[in-house]
Amino acid sequence: MLKMVVCLKQVPMVSELPWDPRTGTLQRDLAEGMMNPACRSALEAALRLRAGEGGEITAITMGPPMAEEVLREAIALGADRGVLLTDRRMAGADTSVTSYTLARAIERACAGFDLVLCGFSTIDSETAQVGPQLAEELAVPGVAGIDGIELFGRTVRMRRLSDNFLETLEMDLPGLITVATGENALQHVPLGGLQAAFDGAKILTLSADDLGLDPEIIGVKGSATRIISVTSPTAAKKNLVLTGAPKRIVEQLFERFDDKIGGAIGRDLKTEKAK
Amino acid sequence: MDFNPCMKHKAVRKAVRMFAEAELAPIARDIDRDARFPWEVVEKMRPLHFFGLQAPREYGGAEMDSISYAIAIEEISRISAAMGLCLTVHNSVGVYPIVRFGTEEQKKRFLPAMARGDSIGAFCLTEANAGSDAGGVETTAVWDGSDYVINGTKIFVTNGGVCGTALIFAITDPQNLQKSAGVFIVEQDTPGFSVGEIEDLCGMRANPVSSLFLEDCRVPEGNLLGRPGDGIRIGLTTLDTGRIGIAAQALGIAQSAFEDAVRYSKERQQFKKPISSFQTIQNFLADMATEIDAARLLLYRACAVKDSGRPFGAEAAMAKLYCSEMATRVTNRAVQIHGGYGYSREYDVERYFRDAKVTEIYEGTSEVQRMVIARAVLSQRT
Repeated sequence: MLKMVVCLKQVPMVSELPWDPRTGTLQRDLAEGMMNPACRSALEAALRLRAGEGGEITAITMGPPMAEEVLREAIALGADRGVLLTDRRMAGADTSVTSYTLARAIERACAGFDLVLCGFSTIDSETAQVGPQLAEELAVPGVAGIDGIELFGRTVRMRRLSDNFLETLEMDLPGLITVATGENALQHVPLGGLQAAFDGAKILTLSADDLGLDPEIIGVKGSATRIISVTSPTAAKKNLVLTGAPKRIVEQLFERFDDKIGGAIGRDLKTEKAK
Repeated sequence: MDFNPCMKHKAVRKAVRMFAEAELAPIARDIDRDARFPWEVVEKMRPLHFFGLQAPREYGGAEMDSISYAIAIEEISRISAAMGLCLTVHNSVGVYPIVRFGTEEQKKRFLPAMARGDSIGAFCLTEANAGSDAGGVETTAVWDGSDYVINGTKIFVTNGGVCGTALIFAITDPQNLQKSAGVFIVEQDTPGFSVGEIEDLCGMRANPVSSLFLEDCRVPEGNLLGRPGDGIRIGLTTLDTGRIGIAAQALGIAQSAFEDAVRYSKERQQFKKPISSFQTIQNFLADMATEIDAARLLLYRACAVKDSGRPFGAEAAMAKLYCSEMATRVTNRAVQIHGGYGYSREYDVERYFRDAKVTEIYEGTSEVQRMVIARAVLSQRT
């Protein structure tokens, strides 16, 4: 039986982002959470593999208690069980420490796994580091940015679009794959599944103590990197109204924007004009 | 008392909102303009249990609690009130009476196809001479020794043009109206059952509201819901549940109009300032936000009372009355904030305005709701 682990991250909901207009920063405490889109693609990939091959899917997430919601959503979509890593001492972890913590939890709760699937990157930090680092921590091969997976016995064949090339890769199990938001079209959540996931499904909750982790090497304490500040670049957009007869308007357009127009058509209009 | 939505209710709202924004939003304006029922969306809703929101799991339903149900209707109606209408009528006055009053055999026969959405439900009370006065029903169901033979005409039937299972309110003995009313389950392929022309309505245009004709429609005894004479009781209980759905629908329409009004007031410049900087507009928005919040609390209270198993008729009537009249006020204000553009089909607020009005009329008019509430008040106070 194929034992799969899908790592999920709850990220702030893009459409409901409350910004503080004075500071230009995200008010994270007010933000609604959602399952990161690439993580959802990873779950979808696991569901497809299970539909073909059978097996079992464990959804795992690390975050505040409210992150439980993405595990229940995963169960509504078809995951078999959920594991929540939540502990104040795990908070503020950078990608390296996150991978370390996830690896220890996977070893504990999903021993003997065949395949770990992660989203390629998250929309709130975009590092794409946790997946590859997690492969290192688990000491299994890892492939990043995949959008098609097939299984042949103990070998997975994967497709990856990189630049304009379509790569086909193979990896023996156990292994780890990060999935891009590509071909795995997002499924809508079935409402019956959602109700059942909240009414009955058990979530295994693990703390640092449960995993026997040294509080000094996890969370913000154990992290080697720090975020100094997050600000929103203010785009200073200025509108310009060109007036006059059409001919004059076009002339002005070329006078003012010859560099941009030239760039778009692949010619150096400034030099041509000088000549 | 916790006023924060629980994790499940948040998740339900997100799931339905994501569906509605992806699948319904791109066509909501067009299906209203063309008065077209979007079967392609129905197709996508079926596997997600939208047609069995509160039906038991054993019959293929989602078995949702009432607040989850209200949230689902609210979120669909926020994008397309006409589809919200289809769902609320199907679920709360089509499926629910069978769940509540049906025999085991009736449940097995009718619920799976309805919960799958293969057979869309309709509830038919209104006639030319009966509406607010249920006692005026003239459709008859006469027992001829082997079948009930139903004759009559039902009007303004929501989902009429697409229904597969119609619950027909009829009397078995014209001499004894009160004691002989019954609710009959009639399937659309029953000989003698036919659909009239689709009504050309002011709002809810994507829902095929129509008349239904019953000419010597024969149904077996097993199609009578409850016992002979239970009609009034079943009808009233069903309408109490239906009112929760219509209140949720009105709330969704108001929410949408409010969001559009807030957005527009920040974009629209007059006197070199966004109109949201003017106190008049701020007062409008403050009143709208307050009324929407009050309506939502009343609605969720009615849902909670229903799920606790206590009588909820008065609470449902209050929620329906307040949500629907609030929706008319809020959508009216939203049009006003949009000015001339609000009166144009180029923007959605005119649709919300048209859609909101009927929530004060169907599933019991505002006047009937006040009657229900007054009756409860007078029976409780000395």
